[in-house]
Amino acid sequence: MRRRFGTRLRAVGAVLAAAALAACGTAGPGAGGGAQEPVVIWALQDDALNKIEQDSINRFGADRAKLETFGNDPYKQKLRVALGSPQAPDVFFNWGGGNLKEYVDAGKVADLTGLLEANPQLKSAFLPSVLDGAKIGGKHYGIPMRGMQPVVLFYNKKVFAEAGAQPPKTWDDLLGLVDTFKAKGVTPIALAGSQAWTELMWAEYVLDRIAGSEVFQNIRDNGPQGWKDPKVVEAMTVLKGLIDKGAFGDNFASVGYDIGGASTLLAQGRAAMHLMGSWEYTNQLSQSPDFVKAGDLGWVAFPSIAGGKGQAGTVVGNATNYYSLTEGSPQLEAAKEFVSTQLTTPEYVKALIDAGDVPAVAGIEEQLKSAPNAEYTTWVYELAKNAPVFQLSWDQDLPADQAEFMLTQLQEFFLGNLTPQAFADSLANRA
Amino acid sequence: MTAVQIRPTVRQAPPVHPRRRARPNLVAGVGAALWLVVVIVPLYYLLSGSLRNRGEYLTGDSLSLPENPTLDNYATVLEGGFGTYLLNNVIVTVGTVALVIALAVPCAYAVARSTSAVVRYGFTLLLMGLAIPAQATIIPVYLLITRLHLYDSLTAIILPTAAFALPVATLVLVNSLRDVPRELYEAQELDGASPLQTLRHLVLPLAKPAVMTVLIYTALTAWNGFLFPLVLTQSTDTRVLTLGLWEFQGQFGANVPGLLAAVTLSVLPIFVVYLIGRRFLLTGLTAGFGK
Amino acid sequence: MTTVRPSPAYALPAFAFFGIFAALPMVLVVYLSLTAWDGLGTPAFLGLENWSRLLTDAAARESLGRTAVFIVLTWAVQTPVALLMGAWSAGRQRNRAILSALFFIPLLLSTAAIALLWQVLLDPNFGLPQSVTALQSIGFLGDPEIALYTVVFVVSWQYIPFHALLYQGAARNIPVVLYDAALIDGASRWGRFWFVTLPQLRYTVVTSSILMMVGSLTTFDTVLILTNGGPGTATRIAPLYMYDTGFAGFQMGYASTIAVLLLVLGTALSLITMKVTRFRSMQSQQEGQ
Repeated sequence: MRRRFGTRLRAVGAVLAAAALAACGTAGPGAGGGAQEPVVIWALQDDALNKIEQDSINRFGADRAKLETFGNDPYKQKLRVALGSPQAPDVFFNWGGGNLKEYVDAGKVADLTGLLEANPQLKSAFLPSVLDGAKIGGKHYGIPMRGMQPVVLFYNKKVFAEAGAQPPKTWDDLLGLVDTFKAKGVTPIALAGSQAWTELMWAEYVLDRIAGSEVFQNIRDNGPQGWKDPKVVEAMTVLKGLIDKGAFGDNFASVGYDIGGASTLLAQGRAAMHLMGSWEYTNQLSQSPDFVKAGDLGWVAFPSIAGGKGQAGTVVGNATNYYSLTEGSPQLEAAKEFVSTQLTTPEYVKALIDAGDVPAVAGIEEQLKSAPNAEYTTWVYELAKNAPVFQLSWDQDLPADQAEFMLTQLQEFFLGNLTPQAFADSLANRA
Repeated sequence: MTAVQIRPTVRQAPPVHPRRRARPNLVAGVGAALWLVVVIVPLYYLLSGSLRNRGEYLTGDSLSLPENPTLDNYATVLEGGFGTYLLNNVIVTVGTVALVIALAVPCAYAVARSTSAVVRYGFTLLLMGLAIPAQATIIPVYLLITRLHLYDSLTAIILPTAAFALPVATLVLVNSLRDVPRELYEAQELDGASPLQTLRHLVLPLAKPAVMTVLIYTALTAWNGFLFPLVLTQSTDTRVLTLGLWEFQGQFGANVPGLLAAVTLSVLPIFVVYLIGRRFLLTGLTAGFGK
Repeated sequence: MTTVRPSPAYALPAFAFFGIFAALPMVLVVYLSLTAWDGLGTPAFLGLENWSRLLTDAAARESLGRTAVFIVLTWAVQTPVALLMGAWSAGRQRNRAILSALFFIPLLLSTAAIALLWQVLLDPNFGLPQSVTALQSIGFLGDPEIALYTVVFVVSWQYIPFHALLYQGAARNIPVVLYDAALIDGASRWGRFWFVTLPQLRYTVVTSSILMMVGSLTTFDTVLILTNGGPGTATRIAPLYMYDTGFAGFQMGYASTIAVLLLVLGTALSLITMKVTRFRSMQSQQEGQ
């Protein structure tokens, strides 16, 4: 329901309600829902995806469900407000992980374990590592609803060819490449350092390769004390070696991602590599089509690190997005029916693939091969499918206030204002 | 208590003093030239950048004239939801101005003429508002708006924007009404006019310049507002221009010329007003903060 | 004779409206500073815990320190330029009128537009530094040592015209006889500015200074868009820290604590400035009562 006009009436209501608020400080009047109400589904604004979602609703019954979409950044704020009020949606889009855990802990999310147990074919339809991204305390709280977004090391093939270089397989390769490209006056790695989440991708991969996924999972499950693990300092020291070598150039702190800085540097050959989510492919395709069509955009998995404990092939990133259901919603049964029947239909999966997504659905190799950009999408699919662990981005996996703090500390670290030890200490000692 | 220095708005500046032909003021000339560069270069960059295609923007000389000027960026922006944002901005601005004028004019009349203690205390409370930075109250305003179920509506922007514009508006009006000679009010009363008639036939006509000032001041505040829309709205349907600009940054990705076109378009309406009525606009801008 | 005066009812809607949407939030923010509220559900009373946290929060201390530097610098940059420009543009010569019309253009741009423009302009790879080599080595937005100065510059660029306008208005109200007397005394141009213009503008200096300082204390949108507090935390001034805490970290209670601090500081800043400068209260300046 959108309210835009009716200032006067609303102002009167506002006065009354404000008086009520001042008197008791409780939530406003609730919105009652009858049984005939449609299932309200909240999702992010995304031209391609929204159309696919609407089609899935039409198959379910156009009058049985209703899609409402919101812009990216403040979506979490909106969701938080709604879940804390009687105006909650019945089904909501989310990222899984710790972000979802906050709502689970507040008792706002319906347990879907029973639903999945009762429908084995539904459970087995998804890649297990991805389905587990919304598993909290051994229970399932979300169903994957779109493509996977692992973080991938992109590189400019032309720049590599000119330098006679090969994409890195190991960390030592990467360090060698830094020297190679610096000597040629090319920034070795583009980094949109004005936005901390791009730096986070480096920290996530390096810690994972060196220590395995347990260290971060311990932090997530048992609190900030986990940052005290010596492996954190070890990993950050390795990363610092890369930064101090000048791998990211000298002005990365003012390069942005939203404004296209890092991506453009790669496409223009002013930088050789760029670590980014798998969406970077479609991003480059729309922003620098000539670059992609010439076949100059290359991609590899994040290099291994010699002596590290991490399982080879582990990926970090956004496993996918999930639909979760609101606990206590009057439309819970209808919502369950929607998520259990509509997210694995051939039409839905095909539509996602056609839009360039790589759905977290098992056994779609052949389908991917016949779709556009097959080389890339098949590679991403295999990468994610074979990953023993799909580590969710830390900023999505930690509670909001910890994530916020971690991101600023990470920026300080990349700027050289915090040593690896100081970085770990500040995160561990936060009240 | 308050930062505002009040001078009666009706008093005119002294007549232009025909300066003797003095020797040219060199220091001032150099200073003015310097400032001109500081102001003009970014504006030129804005305008010329918005006319370049993306390739030229990324590789070309950003200070030269665009080689192949194009309006494509403007087309992209206009197709990218700019119309909705503009309309929302107009609704918010008109709504805020209407609310402020409707509340402030009768209030100022009462403050200027009433002897009631309620009015006096109320006015003091209102003046305190001059010192409250709106930024410091966003969290409770957010709480209030969500609890009133107004979140993500244009009304949510209008209400607090109007509330925080009210002190300056009332003050400007009160000062202008206090300049009205008492005899005029008394003449009205002798004629048996009710306060409502006095308001319509005496106060409104006399306060017209002050109302204009309030109108412009409030309109500019609402038009350029960022914080309340940022915190109180959400969806594209309720997005105003300032937020829209910020969102364009993410939406257009590397299309910087598109972003520059959006910025240019957002300035255009006010620029037109500036060209037509510069004096009015500037007076409104500094409303209440001395003349 | 009975005078028919408007009943208080004329003023009540305005008072009530202001009370709910401006005064009530001011009271509520104090209450919220005593609660824990994560945006979900209802604020839970906590007592003084947020306040004791504020005392030991290094990030808050640093952001306040930055705010202090920011206030001083924006004042020191803006005041002389605005004062000179105001006095200069008060002259009614034709060339001054034309140039002033150009000078005041930044007033027309919203903060969002200005911050985005400068962000694009200062981009080290694709902005102005691409064409002007001398600028390439300066990390306007990327060097933690420099970024805050960049923000000071951008904020000054935006607000100098506004303050110049205040000075222009005041300068035009200076009685011409004062200048004539100074001329007869043989005062130089500089002398006339120093001994006539400046003293006559003293109230405007106070007004403008208070507006500047409170404005800088609460500057938020420029930093959010231009640097988002970065690089690192180099430009995270107090209002942005409040916003991040509240709307990114969802610690609304603690964010309210910072807000109360800003509220108190803002009021104190105005009061102290007026006290120190013996600026008479608004009431006594009013005429035509």
